[in-house]
Amino acid sequence: MKRITLIILALGTLANAQNTPIKKDSSNVVLDEVLVIAAKKNKIETAMKMAVSVDEFLASSDNISFIKRGAYAWEPLLNNMSTERSTVTIDGMHIFGACTDKMDPVTSYVESNNLSDIDVKSGQEGSMHGATVAGSIDLKRKSTAFALGQTWNGAYQSGFEFNNNQFFNLGNVSYSSDKLVADGSISYRKAKNYTDGNTDEVEHSQYEKFNTSLGIAYKTTNLSSVRVDAIFDKAEDVGYPALPMDLSLSRALITSVTYKQFFEDKLIKVWDTKVYFNTIEHYMDDTTRPENLVHMDMPGWSTTYGLLSKVNLKKENYSSEIQINAYDNLSIAEMRMYPQDRSETTMFAYSWPWVTTRYAGLSISNSWDISEKSQLNFGGTLGLNYNYSKYIEFNWIFHPGASQEKTRFLPNLYASYQFNASGFESSIGGGYGHRAPSVSEGYGYYIYNSFDRYDYIGDPDLENEISYEANASAGFKNKKGSIKAQVNYFYIQNYIIGRILSQGSPMNYQSVGVKGYTSLDHATLFNFSMHANYSILNNLHWKGTLTYARGLDENKNNLPFIRPLSYQTSLHYSYQKIGFRTSFNGDLKQIDYSPEYGEDETPSYTNWNISADYTFYIKNYKTVFQIGAENVFNEYYSTYADWGNIPRMGRNIFTSLKIDL
Amino acid sequence: MKRLHFFVIVIFVVVSSCTVEKTDYEAELSTETTEYIEYENVTSITSGDYTVNLEALNGTLYKGYNEIHLSIINTVTSESLQDAEVTFLPIFTDANGNTSSCPHAYNLEYDATEDYYSGFAVFTSESDTTVSWQLYINFQVDTQSYAINQTITVEEQTNMNLNMTAFTGSDNEHYFIALVSPQSPGVAENNLVAGIYKYNQPTEAEGTFPDLSQYSYSAVQDYTLLLDPRMPEASMGNHSSPNNEDLIMESDSLYHGVVNYTMTGNWTLNFILQNAEGETLKGTEVSTEFTPGIEGAKSDLYIDILF
Repeated sequence: MKRITLIILALGTLANAQNTPIKKDSSNVVLDEVLVIAAKKNKIETAMKMAVSVDEFLASSDNISFIKRGAYAWEPLLNNMSTERSTVTIDGMHIFGACTDKMDPVTSYVESNNLSDIDVKSGQEGSMHGATVAGSIDLKRKSTAFALGQTWNGAYQSGFEFNNNQFFNLGNVSYSSDKLVADGSISYRKAKNYTDGNTDEVEHSQYEKFNTSLGIAYKTTNLSSVRVDAIFDKAEDVGYPALPMDLSLSRALITSVTYKQFFEDKLIKVWDTKVYFNTIEHYMDDTTRPENLVHMDMPGWSTTYGLLSKVNLKKENYSSEIQINAYDNLSIAEMRMYPQDRSETTMFAYSWPWVTTRYAGLSISNSWDISEKSQLNFGGTLGLNYNYSKYIEFNWIFHPGASQEKTRFLPNLYASYQFNASGFESSIGGGYGHRAPSVSEGYGYYIYNSFDRYDYIGDPDLENEISYEANASAGFKNKKGSIKAQVNYFYIQNYIIGRILSQGSPMNYQSVGVKGYTSLDHATLFNFSMHANYSILNNLHWKGTLTYARGLDENKNNLPFIRPLSYQTSLHYSYQKIGFRTSFNGDLKQIDYSPEYGEDETPSYTNWNISADYTFYIKNYKTVFQIGAENVFNEYYSTYADWGNIPRMGRNIFTSLKIDL
Repeated sequence: MKRLHFFVIVIFVVVSSCTVEKTDYEAELSTETTEYIEYENVTSITSGDYTVNLEALNGTLYKGYNEIHLSIINTVTSESLQDAEVTFLPIFTDANGNTSSCPHAYNLEYDATEDYYSGFAVFTSESDTTVSWQLYINFQVDTQSYAINQTITVEEQTNMNLNMTAFTGSDNEHYFIALVSPQSPGVAENNLVAGIYKYNQPTEAEGTFPDLSQYSYSAVQDYTLLLDPRMPEASMGNHSSPNNEDLIMESDSLYHGVVNYTMTGNWTLNFILQNAEGETLKGTEVSTEFTPGIEGAKSDLYIDILF
């Protein structure tokens, strides 16, 4: 009922918005332009599809790949490293998933219609918001700028995908005046099981997601504003075909208050301070899997408070950003097993024994334009990371006497030099950084990993992971097209990974043994990507991407989840109001797989996708209709990062309609 | 603006609706077990000018190990009797009228700071309508001897963490193993304390009742109690825990070891009892295989616990 109320409310808002004449005033005062709070156009769409999920959008980025446990909530891998090694933030705010099995990466708690952009930074350049090895993914929320007159804007998007009967409705509306700005969005998606390339239904791959957001900004003085933001996300009945459990409910409330102060004719340009709070609850459910021997309840909670304060400085050819970042997170995960005779006592343990993480860091990033052609970027972070395990006795079972409290210093440094001349561009850079073990790596207790079928135990006294990084890029650009190659290389000391323990016995009945998170002496990772685009005709564009990566442990054995050689090529043709796109993408055979970590050889695959769109006007409202098909050949495949080799979606015909109001 | 207010209200209604409660871990640990710390009066017996107060945890004597405190008060002067020789003998009478005893401390030790006499008894069965327990307490004041004979009630021990077992070893001796601590274990490393006693078989025929030689028990010296804790629930597939330590004797004449419980619930402590020479008196090694769906076989010698 509540949802229906919300939808009615939202529709009401939209209907009203339609009746409001859109006032456009091009003669905005300079100050109002300055007071833009990250006003950006909606870029959340891919080359193929205009209505995409956040995951699908991220997947179109060169250095992001995904571990997929089903059709929903994919875990983003940045530079072929899992989420422990990257920081994922929303407008710089730290949020931590509440699921020990990584069913809920941060990206699953937002929706494409409340984001304006996703900022991906590779390696140590991404350490501004917190210690990282792989880099950072910052999800930028939509926020409309103050306007002179009253302005209403909105968009409504709806669509249907035939493979999994996914029906979605996304609406967003914004109001803007000279004193007040409001952004609201609401979305609802519901999908049934998808079918694979053999047209077999993949059981437990359904999902249902509701998301809404609201942001209100008020201009307190000519040079300052206050903004209050909230996102509420709720996913229900989400299947994870690759896991032995599904999700009955997950909810997130993400809130923040931001104060922004601008300065005229000063070294300091803007001071931006935000306090935030977010809370996540996540309830796994195995009652949908009667084949399970043991019924378990596995609820998880994650609550984070934080502060983010930054100033931007600029003088002539030098600009700098100084940031203070602090947060406090409490992660709790429980497991309760039920005996077959339900009259017997249940069995209880914490898989995250009330683990507190506090982080405070001071970061600085500088950009110095040495000349018109060259630029030096450099910066660093000094962070203090504190962990506390309330029920340390759980951790003591495997690590007797391990420290209940642990404080770590986390330095991060980077520098890069860019050179551009007559279409040629190149860069070279390096980085050094530490990261603290994640909650699972440090304090996890019998966390079942259905990929290699081991129960994982954390070690509170793990050493910091230390990354030495080098990167370079070279490219050429002209009016017709561009080509760019990028490489990076990570030498990671104390690389944290699960190793089989000789002691203890499995707790989860599907498990084959116990692994403890331990530090390898080192591991290395190499990533290469090449990106090109070319305008064959004025209305015919080609794009291509090639990526390759290799990850090795100290004994030159392969690391898991490293993407084999992959490619993507697409053509876009537009004629008057019609657009036509086609693309091929695929991975070659995964030769360098890691049997030690539960991987097997994954064969190659190719996907062919096509789509067409038509733009027209309904009463002056721009409307785009798109129809297309993914995996046109209906190929049966699974990728190197599909958990338990679950098959990907077979042929999927999608349609969507977008109206700009 | 009203619309925005509606939005905010609706969002808060949605947010504040149902949620799963977090487990109260401390309460969770005490659902199956109660930890008693206070010694309370079990019974008071008067003999002549003296009253003997018998105290035990929770004021109750249970089957299994009981630590007991005895205070002896002169009812005339209200002063306590200090540093006297006090003996303590529990006698069990079965339905046929046969008598026996149980592991106990015969000579009670005087504790000057607490001003009581302390000892213990490992009651091997509960009192009921057909069987009974009697205490024979003797003490001497100057030349005057006092003998007290009091029927007591031994109740069922509902806390399985204080379970006991009695058996005949391969050496044909009668042994008793009684858990002493922890009363309320946690999902943690727990210091496991047990008393291991032996019945000293009489070499001569019974004299005048109660003939002490017929009811003599002692703590076994320098034995080892090998420990392998496992979860008996079939779905747990013979699950065990790491870093456990076998029980060895310490200066308090009790056996101390370490047991790790990885989660709450039913556990079986599989034991092998070895004498000082390392010979196995009772108990068998259990399988270490993980067998989901199949209950692991228990040792010949085991105690079940639950928390």
